[in-house]
Amino acid sequence: MILARHADALFWVGRYLERTEATVRCLDYAANSIIHLRSDEARIEVEQLIKTLGLESVAAPLGSLGGRRQLFAFLLSDTANPGSVLSAVTAIRERLRSTRERIPIELWEEANGLYLRFREFGDIELPPERLHETLLMVRRACLAISGVLNEGMRRDEGYEFILIGRMIERSVFTVGLLVAGYTDPRGAIDATRMLRLTSSLQAYHRRHGHAPDPEGVVRYLLAGTDLPRSVLSCLLRAEESLRGVGSVAGALDGPRRRAGLLRARLELGEIEEAMAQEPLPVLSELHWDLTEVASEIAAGVVPPLGFPTASSEYLRPGGARWDAGPMPAGPSAEPGRGLSPEIDP
Amino acid sequence: MAGSWPEPGSGLLDHYEPARGFDEAFESDGSARGVYRRIVERFGELDAGEAQRLERLVADEFRRQGITFTVYSEEEGTERIWPMDLFPRLISAVEWDELERGLSQRVAALNHFLADLYSGEGAAIADGVVPRWLVVSSRGFERNAMGIDVPHGAHCNIAGIDVVRDDGGRYRVLEDNLRNPSGISYVIENRAAMAKACSWLFYDHAVQPVEQYGRMLRSALESMAPGGQESPHVVVLTPGIFNAAYFEHAFLARSMGVELVEGRDLVVDDGTVYARTIEGLIAVDVIYRRIDDVFLDPVSFRPDSTLGVPGLLGALRAGTVTVCNAIGNGAADDKAVYPYVPDLIRYYLGAEPIIDNVPTYMMWDADQRAEVLGRLDELVVKPVGESGGYGVLIGPHASDEELAAARAAIDADPRNWIVQEVVQLSSLPSFTQERLEPRHVDLRPFVLTGERTEVFPGGLTRVAMRRGSLIVNSSQGGGSKDTWVLTPEYS
Repeated sequence: MILARHADALFWVGRYLERTEATVRCLDYAANSIIHLRSDEARIEVEQLIKTLGLESVAAPLGSLGGRRQLFAFLLSDTANPGSVLSAVTAIRERLRSTRERIPIELWEEANGLYLRFREFGDIELPPERLHETLLMVRRACLAISGVLNEGMRRDEGYEFILIGRMIERSVFTVGLLVAGYTDPRGAIDATRMLRLTSSLQAYHRRHGHAPDPEGVVRYLLAGTDLPRSVLSCLLRAEESLRGVGSVAGALDGPRRRAGLLRARLELGEIEEAMAQEPLPVLSELHWDLTEVASEIAAGVVPPLGFPTASSEYLRPGGARWDAGPMPAGPSAEPGRGLSPEIDP
Repeated sequence: MAGSWPEPGSGLLDHYEPARGFDEAFESDGSARGVYRRIVERFGELDAGEAQRLERLVADEFRRQGITFTVYSEEEGTERIWPMDLFPRLISAVEWDELERGLSQRVAALNHFLADLYSGEGAAIADGVVPRWLVVSSRGFERNAMGIDVPHGAHCNIAGIDVVRDDGGRYRVLEDNLRNPSGISYVIENRAAMAKACSWLFYDHAVQPVEQYGRMLRSALESMAPGGQESPHVVVLTPGIFNAAYFEHAFLARSMGVELVEGRDLVVDDGTVYARTIEGLIAVDVIYRRIDDVFLDPVSFRPDSTLGVPGLLGALRAGTVTVCNAIGNGAADDKAVYPYVPDLIRYYLGAEPIIDNVPTYMMWDADQRAEVLGRLDELVVKPVGESGGYGVLIGPHASDEELAAARAAIDADPRNWIVQEVVQLSSLPSFTQERLEPRHVDLRPFVLTGERTEVFPGGLTRVAMRRGSLIVNSSQGGGSKDTWVLTPEYS
C-alpha cells in the first residue's frame, strides 16, 4: 500500500535525481569542451546544452549565457532556475523529507548531506576552480544515493516509483539530446559529444569499436540493448515497474500501454525505419510521447482532491474509473510539457 | 566545599560549585551520589578539548540526520540542531519504580476523569470533587466530544507528565500534558547519539534500552481499534513538513512501520475514514493525530483549517475509527484542573497520590487569592491556558511593575490564573565549553495507555542553558540530556 501523495513524491524524486546527474554531466562536459572553443563556438555549445536540458524558456529572459561563469552559475546554483542542480537537490530533499518514514534512513541521510554540502558550496559565489570538486561531490552523492536505493531499499511500490521516475526522465533527456543534435546549427551530428553527454562512450567503444558514426550512435542511444541509458532499456524497466504497482481501476494502464507501444516500436525497428526518411519529426514525436507518459503517470497516481460528496463513487475501491480529473493545485501540480522542463513545484 | 569535591586537576569538574536546590549528582558534602560515582569518575578523566570533540561529534550526527527543531520567533535559520548535553541523567531502579507507579496512577485517574466527563455521567462533578463551572469553562473542554465512545475508556493514550525534584530531591508533578506531548523522538535519538559518541560511558552501567518505543506505541494504538479488530490500519496524522515537530512525526511513523499521512491524504465517505492510495481508498482504523483538536475537522471545528479531515467527527461518532489522543483532553490538563488531580486520584482509585503536586493556589478561591496576592514576589504566577513556559511570571525575578500587572490581571480574571510556590529545580553537571557546571533540569516521562498502561523507561530531560535559569523549554533556548534508567541489578 502506498499513499498517492507518497507515490507522487517518490516519482519526482526519481526524476530529479536523474535530472541532477544529467545536469552535472552537461556541466562537466561544458567545463572541459568550452575551453578549447572560440567564443562564437562556445556560445553555440552553451545554447545547445540549454536546449538539451529543456531550459530555453528559463534561460531566455537572462540574455546571453555565453560566459562560462554565467553558464555554470545558471546550471549549478541558480535558485531561480528550476532546472539547476541546487534546485533539483533541494526538490529531492523536500520530497524525501515528506516521505521520510517509508524510505531507508541512509537514503535520507545521503540526500540531506548532499543538500547541506551543496549549500556550503552554493551559497558563496562559486569560484571556477571549485567547479570540479563541486561536480565530483554531487556525482559521488548521486552514486551513493543510487547505491542505497539498490542495496538498502525494500522492493515496494515506493522503490518502483523512484525507478519509474528515473527511467522516464532518462529517456526524455536522451531523446531531447538527439532532437537538439539534429537541430544543431553547426551541422553534422557530433557522435562523440552525444556519447559523452550520456556517459555511453566507453560502452559504445566496447560494443562497436573506436570510430563512432553518427547514425550508429543514434541507433545505439535509442535501442542499444546492452546500454542501461538507451531509451529502449529505460522503457523496458519502466514498463516492468509500472506492472509492479497496483493502481485503482487501472489508472496507470494508459501510460504503461503507451510506454509498451514505444518500446515495441523501438524493438522492432519501426522508429529507426521512419527516421531513415526524416529523423527530426520522428524524434520530436518520440520526445512528446515520452513526456506524455510522464504526465499520465503523474495524473494516474494523484487522485482528485476535494470533498467526497461529488466524487465518492469514483473513489470507492472497485468503483468506476478513477477520475484523473483536473490536477490539484499545490504540491502535486505539474505544468509544462514538450521541450520545456517539467518541474514539480 | 573542600573535602571530597573533585581535586583540582581532575579536569572538567574542577571548581564545581553546586547551584541552589538539589544537586542530583553530588551529596551536600561534595561526594558523588552512589549512582553517579562512575560517571563522575569518567568525566573527571576528560579534558575540555576532548569533551568539545565529543560535542561536535554529536552535533554532526544530529545535523546529518536532520534532527532539528524549529524556533518560530526567529526568521532565517529557524531550524536549529537539537542540543544535547554530554553528561547523562541517571535514575536508579528504586527511584524509577516509585516514579513509574506514581505516573501510572496519575494517568489512570486522569483517564477516569475524562471518561467520566465525556460519557455524560459526570460523577466527579456531581460528587463535588471538581466544580462544574471550572470544567465547562476550560478552553480545552470540547462539547463536540460528548458521548463519543472511546475504547477501554483510554482518552489519553500518550501522556507526557512534567516532573521536577524539589529541594529535598522529592519528585513532584509540575504539569500534565494530555493532548499532543512531544519530545519522545529526541529521547531515542539522544540515546543513539550517546551510544555512538560516548559508548565507553555505558560499559560501567546497565541501562534500560529505549528503542522499543515504536513497538510499545503501536501496540497501544492497535488496542484502540474500534471493535477490537486484529491488525488494524494505524496511521500518524501530521500537519506537514513545516510543523516544528515534523521530525518527530516521521520518526514515530517509521519506528512503528505505519504511514505518515496529512489531512489531504484522508477522506471520509459514508462514515468511514479512508486513506487515498494508488490502489484507491483503504479504510483507516486508528489515527494517531499530532494536530490540535481545533484543526481536526473543519466541519465541526475551525472551518478555515486545511490540516484536518472534513467529516472526521462524524466517523468518530459512527464508531468506525479511533482518534488518539481523544478529542477534548484539554479539559484534564488545564492548569486550573491540576490542583484537583490529587483529589481525583483519591476519588477514582481510593489511594493517596504517590507523586505530589507542587503547592498550588487557586486564584478563583477568594481565601487563597487573599493569602497570596500580597506575596507574589515569592511565588510563580501561571496563566492556565498557556504552555511552553509562555506567560509565566517568576516572582523573585520580577520587577515591581510586572508584579503589579500580574496582580491586576489576577483580579480581572481569577479563573485564568494559578499561583505556585517556587520549586528550585534540581540540577546536574552540564558541559559549558570549558567545564561542567550545575544547570537546572526537569523530566518529561511518557505514559502509554491502550488496553493497559505502560510507562516508558526514562523520558526527556530538559536542561536550562544559563546558570541559575529555570527555563528549560527548547523553544526558549533549553537543551536536553540522555536519561538513563538503571536496571535493578546495577542499582
